[in-house]
Amino acid sequence: MPNSLSLLEIRDLHVGFRIFEGHLRVLTGVTLAVHEGERVGLVGETGCGKTTTVKSVLRVLPIPPARVTGGEILYRGRDILRMHRHALHVLRREELTAIFQDPLQSLNPVFTVGSQLRDIVRDSMRTPEGKSLSRREIEARCIQALEETGMPDPERIMSNYPIQLSGGMRQRVCIAEALSTTARLLLADEPTTNLDVTIQDQILRKLDRLVDQKGSSVLMITHSMGVVRDLTQRIYIMYAGSIVETGPTRQLLASPKHPYTQGLMASVPRLTGRGVSEGIPGRIPNYLAPPSGCRFHPRCPHRMPECSVEVPPMFDVGADQRAACYLYRRSPS
Amino acid sequence: MTEPILEARGLTKFFPTKRGTVRAVDAIDFQMAPGDTLGLVGESGSGKTTTAQCVVGIYAPTTGDILFHGQSIGATAAKRGKDLKREIRIVFQDPGSSLNPKRTIKQILATPLAVHRMASGREQLARIGALLERVELPPAEYLYKHPQSIGGGEKQMVAIARALATDPSFVVLDEPTSALDVSVQAKIINLLLGLQKEMGLTYLFITHDMSLMRNVASRVAIMYLGKLSEIANTADFFQTPLHPYTKMLLSSIPVVSDEEESLKPAKGISRGEIPSPVNIPPGCSFHSRCPSRLDVCDKIDPGTVEVAPGHVVRCHLYPSQREASA
Repeated sequence: MPNSLSLLEIRDLHVGFRIFEGHLRVLTGVTLAVHEGERVGLVGETGCGKTTTVKSVLRVLPIPPARVTGGEILYRGRDILRMHRHALHVLRREELTAIFQDPLQSLNPVFTVGSQLRDIVRDSMRTPEGKSLSRREIEARCIQALEETGMPDPERIMSNYPIQLSGGMRQRVCIAEALSTTARLLLADEPTTNLDVTIQDQILRKLDRLVDQKGSSVLMITHSMGVVRDLTQRIYIMYAGSIVETGPTRQLLASPKHPYTQGLMASVPRLTGRGVSEGIPGRIPNYLAPPSGCRFHPRCPHRMPECSVEVPPMFDVGADQRAACYLYRRSPS
Repeated sequence: MTEPILEARGLTKFFPTKRGTVRAVDAIDFQMAPGDTLGLVGESGSGKTTTAQCVVGIYAPTTGDILFHGQSIGATAAKRGKDLKREIRIVFQDPGSSLNPKRTIKQILATPLAVHRMASGREQLARIGALLERVELPPAEYLYKHPQSIGGGEKQMVAIARALATDPSFVVLDEPTSALDVSVQAKIINLLLGLQKEMGLTYLFITHDMSLMRNVASRVAIMYLGKLSEIANTADFFQTPLHPYTKMLLSSIPVVSDEEESLKPAKGISRGEIPSPVNIPPGCSFHSRCPSRLDVCDKIDPGTVEVAPGHVVRCHLYPSQREASA
C-alpha cells in the first residue's frame, strides 16, 4: 500500500523497560499503519503490549523506566519519537486524540465536566480566520459535543463533577472531549471494556457515527473480537510484543491463520453454543527472559525446530492477510 | 421435575441507605434441579451478586426464603450449621483479592479442611495435593507458592480448588472468569464443566456474558433491577427470547461470525441506562427503556407468566395465559 496515504505508520518499534530485575523487552518490532479515514483494530490479550504501543504513539510512556530502543513512529511522515517538545504539543493538541479505558482516570475529579470540556475546545479549536473562539461559541460547541454522544440534558451535565455521573455517562464525556476537537486520528484504548453490553452497544454506535461524520481515522485497541468486528476494517493481532497476524477484519476473524489467532478465536464463547475449546496452554512469556525465535513457540501446537531459532517474518496467507508463522513459508511472499 | 436442590421463594433483600431503600433483590422465585447450571445474567446493579450472597449466607434475606433440599436456609452464615457451609461454596470474581497474599497455596487450601475437621497432618497434605491435581495444577510446583507469583487464571483455579475442598454439592460462581482473558477463560470453563460432571455439582453461575452462558448454562435467568424478567431452558431461551429486555441484551452482544449474527434478534435499539435501584421507576421497572411499551407499563407491574413449559416471563406483552389461569 502506498506510503503517501498512511496517516500513522509504526515501523519496527522496539520498547523496553529497565527495572530492578533486569531489562524487560516488551515491544519487539511492532509494525503497523493506519491510513487516512481508515479504522484499524489492534487486538491482543492482557500484557501483550497494546497499551505500550498506544502510549508510545502519544509519547506518554514514562522514560525511564521505559526506553525506546529502535524504530520510528511516523505521523504524516514526521517521526513522533524525534519531535521537539513544542511540535509534539501542537500535534497532540490538533491532530491526535485519545479515549482510555477508565474515564475516572482521564477526567479530573476536582473540575466540572464543563470546565474540562471548555479547556479542550478553547485550546484546540480556531475560527476559520484562525482566531480563538468567543466564550459563547465555546459553550455552544461543548453542549453540541455532549449532545452528539447522546447525552441527555447536556446543560446540567456541564455543571456536574465526574463522580456524579455513571460509568457510561463518563465515557460519553470522554468521547465528547475526544471528538470535540479537530483531531484526525483517534486512539481508543479499550473504550468500552468496563461498560455493560447495552451501554457498550450505544456508545460504539455513537462513536461509529461520529467518526464517520468527521472522517477521522481510528486505531482501536481492545481484547474483544466482537467489538473490532463491528467497528474496524482491518486488524492487527498482537502477541507478546509483536504483530503476529494482520488482514481485513471479517476475513481474518472468519479464517485465522496464525496458530495463536486460531487458539484465540476457538476460545471465544459463541452464541451457537457448541461449547468452548480447551483454550491456549501455558501463558504469556516473561518479558525478562522471553523465548527465542517466535515468542509463541512454547505454546504452539504446530511447533517446528526452526521456530525456536529465528523470529518468523510475515508471510502472505490470503488477500491482504499476512501471518508471522513458518507454517506459511512456501506461499509466495 | 425432580426435587429441587435449591429454591428461592419470594427472595427479597433491601438495603436501607441515607438516600432511600436500595431494592437490590425484589421478590424473586427460582428453582434449581440437582446437576443444573443456572446462569444468572444481568447488567451491573441488577442484583445478581446480592442474590448469590443471600444464597451463601453473606446476607440474610429481608423477606422471603431460600430452601436447600427443602429446608429453609434463609439465615446468615453465622447462624448456619457447618454441614450447610460445607455443602454450599462460592468462587468470587477477582481471585487477586479473594486469596490471602501472605499465605502459600498450601495454607490457603488447608484452611477449609481444618475448619471442617476433614483432614489433618499427612492426610491433609495428600488431600491438598489431590485438590490441586483436580484443577490441573501440578502440586509439586504450586504448593509453596504465594498467590502473587502465579497468573490470574491459576489464581482462579486455586480459588476453585478451595471451594471444592469440602466436597460441596452446590457452588456459586460469581463472575469467575470476567477478569480473565478469553484463552484462560476457556480453560477454566472446561475445567468447571468437567468437575461438574465428575462430582455431580450444581452451579449458580453469575455472569454478564450471554455468549458464555449459551455454552455453560442449562437454564438462564435474566435479572433487571432486582427482578427476574425471564427464565427459560438455555436452548429455548436463545431460540425464542420473549422479554424486550432480553432481546435488547441479545442484540447488543458483539459477535465474531456471520453465523452468530443471524442468531441474534433484529437489531433493537438499545437505549437508556439501568436506573438507580434507589429510585426504581413505577410499574414495570424496564418501561423507561422498553421499545415496545404499552400504556399499562408505567402503571402496573406485570406478574410472571409461564408462556411455555419452563419458560417464564414477566411482561405485559404476554398476558393471555395469565388471564386464562386467573
